[in-house]
Amino acid sequence: MNKKIRWKIILVIAVIALAVFLAYPPGEKINLGLDLRGGMHLVLEVVTDDAVVTETDQEIARFKEELNENDISFEIISKTSGQIAQFYIEGFPPDKQGEVRQLVEEKFQQWDIRPSSERITLTIKSGVESYLREQSVRQSLQTIGNRVDELGLTEPTIQRQGLTGSRIIVELPGVEDPERVKEILKTTAKLEFRLVLSGPAPDRETLLADQDGEVPAGAEVMRGDLSRTQGEYYLVSDVAPIVGSDLRNARRTTDEWNNPAVSFSLNPEGARRFATFTEEHVGEPLSIVLDGQIQQVANIRERIPPPGDTILHGSYTMEEAEDISLVLRAGALPAGIRYLEDRTIGPSLGADSIRKGLTSILVALFLVLIFMGIYYRMAGINAIVALLLNILLLMGALAYFKASLTLPGIAGIILTVGMAVDANVLVFERIREELSQGKSVWSSIASGFSRAFKTILDANVTTIIAAIFLFQFGTGPIRGFAVTLIIGITASMFTAVFVSRLIFELTVPRTKKKQKLSI
Amino acid sequence: MQFIKNPNFDFMKYKYIALVFSGLIILTGLINITVGTGINYGIDFAGGTLVRIIFRDQVSVGEIRQDLRDIGIENSRIQEIGENGREYIIRTFEEEAEEQSGEEIEAHEYVAQLVVDALRSEEEKSAITQGLPDLNSIDENFLAELIQPEFPEQAEELAQRITVLRNSQDLEGIIQDYSQLSELAGLSPELINLLQEKTFLSHFAVLSKETVGPQIGLDLRRKAAQATIWALFGMLIYIAIRFQYAYGVSAILTLAHDVLITVGIFSLTNRELNLPVIAAILTLVGYSLNDTIVIFDRVRDNLKLLRKSDFKHLLNTSINQTISRTVITSGTTFLTVFTLFLFGGEVINDFAFTMLIGVIVGTFSSIYLSCSMLFFWKKIFKPKKGLGK
Repeated sequence: MNKKIRWKIILVIAVIALAVFLAYPPGEKINLGLDLRGGMHLVLEVVTDDAVVTETDQEIARFKEELNENDISFEIISKTSGQIAQFYIEGFPPDKQGEVRQLVEEKFQQWDIRPSSERITLTIKSGVESYLREQSVRQSLQTIGNRVDELGLTEPTIQRQGLTGSRIIVELPGVEDPERVKEILKTTAKLEFRLVLSGPAPDRETLLADQDGEVPAGAEVMRGDLSRTQGEYYLVSDVAPIVGSDLRNARRTTDEWNNPAVSFSLNPEGARRFATFTEEHVGEPLSIVLDGQIQQVANIRERIPPPGDTILHGSYTMEEAEDISLVLRAGALPAGIRYLEDRTIGPSLGADSIRKGLTSILVALFLVLIFMGIYYRMAGINAIVALLLNILLLMGALAYFKASLTLPGIAGIILTVGMAVDANVLVFERIREELSQGKSVWSSIASGFSRAFKTILDANVTTIIAAIFLFQFGTGPIRGFAVTLIIGITASMFTAVFVSRLIFELTVPRTKKKQKLSI
Repeated sequence: MQFIKNPNFDFMKYKYIALVFSGLIILTGLINITVGTGINYGIDFAGGTLVRIIFRDQVSVGEIRQDLRDIGIENSRIQEIGENGREYIIRTFEEEAEEQSGEEIEAHEYVAQLVVDALRSEEEKSAITQGLPDLNSIDENFLAELIQPEFPEQAEELAQRITVLRNSQDLEGIIQDYSQLSELAGLSPELINLLQEKTFLSHFAVLSKETVGPQIGLDLRRKAAQATIWALFGMLIYIAIRFQYAYGVSAILTLAHDVLITVGIFSLTNRELNLPVIAAILTLVGYSLNDTIVIFDRVRDNLKLLRKSDFKHLLNTSINQTISRTVITSGTTFLTVFTLFLFGGEVINDFAFTMLIGVIVGTFSSIYLSCSMLFFWKKIFKPKKGLGK
C-alpha cells in the first residue's frame, strides 16, 4: 500500500469519527424543528405607530405645561386629525408668536415648526420618528424575551425578521396551550395608579351628569375590566403618579380571604413618590389600571410607607393572577403587537411525522441499496458504502451547524438518497463505457472518475444554486429542507468521488494481468 | 446488469411531436389557471386558518359540516385524513373571516375558535363554563399545578406521565376515557377520581392549528415568485459561464417548461399550492437541470471528438450515451420520492406529489427537449464559432 493511499484512509476515518462524534447520540445532538417536536411559531408585528402616538401625547402635555409656565394663553392645543406625529396650537395672542417659536427652539428640538398667524403646527422630525419606531421594536424584543423567560419555556427563539422592520419571529418549542401564551405576549401590561374623581356609574351619561355631560379638564373616563366586573364607569385623573416602570417586583399570592391576588412592591423612587401621594390623598379612592381597564378601586386609608407593598385583588382565577404578575414583572410593551402568523403543532402530530419520515427514509434507503447492489454488483456495494457515509456526514453536519431537522428536511434527506447515487452512477457508467472500448480495468477506473467529475460538479452546483435561493426565501421548515439538500449534495461529492475511488483502490488489485471488474 | 445494451434511439426524430405534446399540456394548464379552476392557494399564500382535529369516535364529513353550518361557515373545506374517519383538517377561508370581523389575523383566530366551539357538545360547553379544563388540551405545567394540592410530591412526574401517554402513538393525541389512564399509564384510582372531578375529556383534540394573515400570504407569494425567478437566472448565468450562452438559454427554456407543466398539473388536480410545494418546484428545477447538464456535457465533448458528424446525429449520440445514467438516476430518485409519497404522511404529501411529477417531466424534457432547443438555436442563430468551447 503506498503512502498516498494510507493518508487517504486516515482522512476518511477521521471524517467518519468526527461525524459520529458530532451526531451521536442523535436524539440529543440533532436539533428538531418545531414541526417535528411540536410547538408554536409566531410572527408578530409591533405597531410602532403606538410609540409615536404616545410620544406625541406626552409632548402635548409638556407643551401645555410650558405654555402655562410662560403665561402664554391659548385656545386649542390638539393633535392634527389623521396625523400621529403632529399637533397644533391655536388662539394665542398674535404678539406672543415669537415667544412660542423660541420655546420650541429651546425645549422642543425634536419638532419641526410651521408657524402661521393663527396656528402653529409642530411635526416630529423624521429622524426622531424613525428612532422612536426602532426603539419600540427593540424594547418589544426585550420585553417579549423577558416574558418568555418568565414562562419558563425551554430553548425559545426570539428574533427580528430582517435587520430593520417591525416584525418579530417567536418560536417556542413544547407549548401546548398556545392561547394562553399568546395572551401573555400580547398584553401591553401598562400599569397605572390613578385617583378616582367620581363613580362608579352604570353608564357614561350618569357619570357625567354633574359635569353637564362634558369630561372636565384633567380627567378621563375609564371602565372596570369587562371580563371580571360589570364594567362600571369611573371618572379618573389623567395623571398617573405611579406607573409600571416604578415596579420592583410582582408575584401571585392570596389575599386574606384566600383568593388569588397579585402583590407587588415598588422601587425606592416609586415608593417615595407613592408615600407622599398617599399621604396627600388619604380617604380618597384610588384605582389600579391595567391596559386602560380598571382592575380595582380602594380608598386610601393612610400613608403607605416605602417599600409601598400593595395587593391587587380583582376576582382573579389562579391562572389569571399568575399571568398578570408575570407580565408586570417582565415589563410593559412600548407599543401594541399584532399577530400576523401563528402555527401551533401539537406534540403528537410531530411524533407522528417523525415516525412517518423515518419509515420513508428507511424504505427509500433499502430500495436504493438493493437496486444498486443488483445493478452494479461489487461496484454497487461500493456505492452503498458511499451512500451510508453520506447520510452519516449529513447528520454530523446538521449537528455541527445546529440546523433544525424539519419534516421537509427529512424529505431533503430522502431526496439526497435518490440523488446522491447519481454521482456514483455517472462514474460507473463512464467506467463501463471505457471498459467496453477495451481499455484495461485501471485505466477505465481512472478515466471514468476524471471524466465524470466535471459533470458531477456542474450538475451539483446548479442544484445548490436552487437550494440557496430556497434558503433565502423560505421560513423555518423550508430552510431545513434547503440546508439538508445543500449539505447532502456537498457530502455526496466527497463520498461518491473521493471515498468511492479509495474503495476501488483498496479492492481492485493493480496488476498487469488481465482481470475483470465487477460493475 | 444493464437495462439498455448499446442504445441507439433516434430521439431527435420526435422533437416536433414532443414539442406539440408539451405545448398542449402547458396550454391546458394555463387555460385552467387563467379561466378554469385557477390555482388553489393554500393558507401559506392565501391566508386563512387550518385546524387539524382528531375525534374520539368516528365522525362523518356531513356531521362536521352540520356543526359548522350552525355558525354559518359550512363552506369551509373539510378533508379526511387516513381511513378511520377520526382525523380531519378543516380550513376556513379569508373572506369568511373578514365577514366576521374587520381585524386581520384576530378574525382568523376568531373563526378557528368558532370552529372548535361549534364542535363541542353540550356537556363540554357546560364543563367549560364551570371553569373545568380539558384534559385533552391542558398544558403539562398547569396540570401539575392542578394536582399539586393532593399529590404534592409527584405532581410533576404524574402530569408528565399523562401528557406523554396522551401524545403516544397508541392514543395519537387524544385520551378517550379516564380508564385508559389506569390501564396504560398505571395511575392510581385516587388520582383518576381527582382528575374526573377537576377536568373533563373532550371528544376531540386539536392536533395543530395554523393561521396565516393575508399580509404574510401576500409577502410569501411575492417571495416565492422572486426565489423561483432568481434561481432560474442564477442557473442561466452559471451555465452560460461554464458552457455557452446557447446552452444556458436552452437549459432555462427546458426548466421553464418543467415549472409550467408542474404548476399546470397542480392546477388541474386542484391540489393546494403551499410553501413545501414551491420548495419541491425549485428542487425539481435543480434536478431536471442535472439531467440536462449531463447531456450537454456530452454534447460538448462530442463536438470535439466527432467533428465531422452531422449536428442532429451528434445530439442523438450524446443522448444515447447518457441514457443509461439518466434512466438509472431518475429511477432511484423516483423510487425514493414515491416512497415519500406512500409513507411520508399527509403533511408532506403535496411536496412528494410535486416531486413525482417533477421527476417524470424533468427526465422527459432533458431527453426530448433540451437538445431540441440546442438544435433550434443552431438552426436559427447559426453561431460562427459553433457550440463547442
